[in-house]
Amino acid sequence: MATVAQFNKIVSFYYAHKRMPSYQEIMALVKFRSKDSVFKLVNRLIEQGRLRKDQTGRLLPTRYFFEIPWLGSVVAGYPNPAEEELLDPISLEEFLIKNKEATYMLTVTGDSMIDAGIMPGDIVLVERREQANHGEIVVAQVDGEWTLKRLCKRGKKVTLEAANKKYPPIVPKDELRIAAVVCSLIRKY
Amino acid sequence: MDKPLTLVHLPRAILHIDADAFFAACEQSRNPALKGKPVITGKERGIVASMSYEAKARGVTRAMRLHEVRKLCPDAVFLPSDYETYSLLSMRMFAIVRRFTPDVEEYSIDECFADITGMQRSLRGSYQKIAERIKQTLDVELGFTFSLGLGPSKVIAKIGSKWKKPSGLTCIPGREIHRYLAELPVHKLWGIGAQTAAYLAKHRVFTALEFARKPEGWIMRYLTKPFVELWQELQGRSVLELETRPKDSYQSIQKFKTFSPPSNDRGFVFAQLSKNIENACMKARRYHLAASGATCLLRTQDFRDTGLEVRFTRPTAFSHEVIQALRPIFDEIFYPHYFYRSTGVVLFKLQSDDVIQLTLFDPPVQIEKYQRVYRAVDDLRRRYGKHTVFLGSSFDAHAFTQHVGERGDAPERTTILLKGETTRKRLSLPMFLGTVK
Repeated sequence: MATVAQFNKIVSFYYAHKRMPSYQEIMALVKFRSKDSVFKLVNRLIEQGRLRKDQTGRLLPTRYFFEIPWLGSVVAGYPNPAEEELLDPISLEEFLIKNKEATYMLTVTGDSMIDAGIMPGDIVLVERREQANHGEIVVAQVDGEWTLKRLCKRGKKVTLEAANKKYPPIVPKDELRIAAVVCSLIRKY
Repeated sequence: MDKPLTLVHLPRAILHIDADAFFAACEQSRNPALKGKPVITGKERGIVASMSYEAKARGVTRAMRLHEVRKLCPDAVFLPSDYETYSLLSMRMFAIVRRFTPDVEEYSIDECFADITGMQRSLRGSYQKIAERIKQTLDVELGFTFSLGLGPSKVIAKIGSKWKKPSGLTCIPGREIHRYLAELPVHKLWGIGAQTAAYLAKHRVFTALEFARKPEGWIMRYLTKPFVELWQELQGRSVLELETRPKDSYQSIQKFKTFSPPSNDRGFVFAQLSKNIENACMKARRYHLAASGATCLLRTQDFRDTGLEVRFTRPTAFSHEVIQALRPIFDEIFYPHYFYRSTGVVLFKLQSDDVIQLTLFDPPVQIEKYQRVYRAVDDLRRRYGKHTVFLGSSFDAHAFTQHVGERGDAPERTTILLKGETTRKRLSLPMFLGTVK
């Protein structure tokens, strides 16, 4: 079994039990016959930065347990394995979400934002905020419904504009209630 | 009479933060069609779990039955509880408060205490300003309002958050405490129930201020320790510490479930109880706990409760053992001429399951065997869903849906499955609902 496969077993154990395995348990996981070989495996993984130890010598998880490694931008030709070491990986979640506590999701039903690349069925991640800037795509509350439009501020005039010629701009009668601002778009195929 | 109880300002700065009509607010904030309407959650149980301020204004109260609500408020919107979303938002509430201070006690799903003592410099503002900023952040990022109380102790902070609701912020510094207590009936104090209030009335203590003005010796002579602490907190002295560590163990585990229509079928009602026992035992095993006793509770159609308690010879979290132990007492309290609407079980005196003392007559080999069986059962349930395997005694409870009749009792969020989501595994992001144009 390659080190990677052995490491993945430790990760799965961590997810299943919400704690790190003991040496004894690793021995059973990777089907080793002695704790000495486990010790060697652990040292190898520590060297690679995939495991850590605390002051008392107990094993601790590292960021490799939680994240999809960011491999850098794809360059045609031969990949450079050293790049993985240089970059600080961020998870897909961190990439898409800035303020975790204020982020909500929304599934799009209409086609009013189709020219902005937002299609029916898409998942939009939005951040609750009271203020939005000109040009940002916002979720506003209009007549007891959510509406997803681009915010346009010209002087004192504020309108909500669709990204589809079929729909006229919405001019709010009184105060415009903005609930959130779009920060990312997710589409699964 | 206008003499302050203490002259200090805020020797400690404790905040109590309370979400306004939490469950109903979660619903209104994600669906604008519900704004300004009387919204009630708890449809699946048939009683009000939470109501919006619009419903409160019409006289709807908690635990009221839905048909009574319909009479009071015919335009009320009834929604099934969506605990998945409520707990996501509750976790966010605590996370936001933790941006300001690490000392946060998660008191309940919609309430917390926070200690901001000494934070003025690092957060650049007075205690009042910090509280205002916490409130502002919560209101904006969660999309509904919170009420805050600021005071020198937990008890005073809690009085503050109740003072002005919804969306209030009340600061009660030490030398102002007496003004707030003067009008407050003593039973409104945290920890004083009907019994104690009646006892205090015998001593001519009716308001919180009368209670706080009693000499400490009097309190110690006539009341027990929790009330002495309450009294000290009322003087503006903080004695109740914040419990800031996350919960990693339980004193007791309860599982209650309502079913409809009510039933007088012995087998069916017992199956409901059996299902609750299985779920309670599974939770106990997850936390590596075993119970030394259990209480079995039955509630009739007209909300009369009966219950009995048993002690086990040895702590256990094996469902079949608990069921065997509760079967005889179920038979004792079950009357076939009553219709029952819910059953429940409480496992108590929980202790760690790795130090169980066997009795002389317990066969260790068999217990070892059951441990393996339950480990396998728990694995299966974890992987394929909670109701993959269950005991035959729970069969009738699994064979039918929990509530017959009213349709649409599943929360709306659970009916929307995104690509890659399953009924058990969903994205941990709250969702905006309603039509999106």
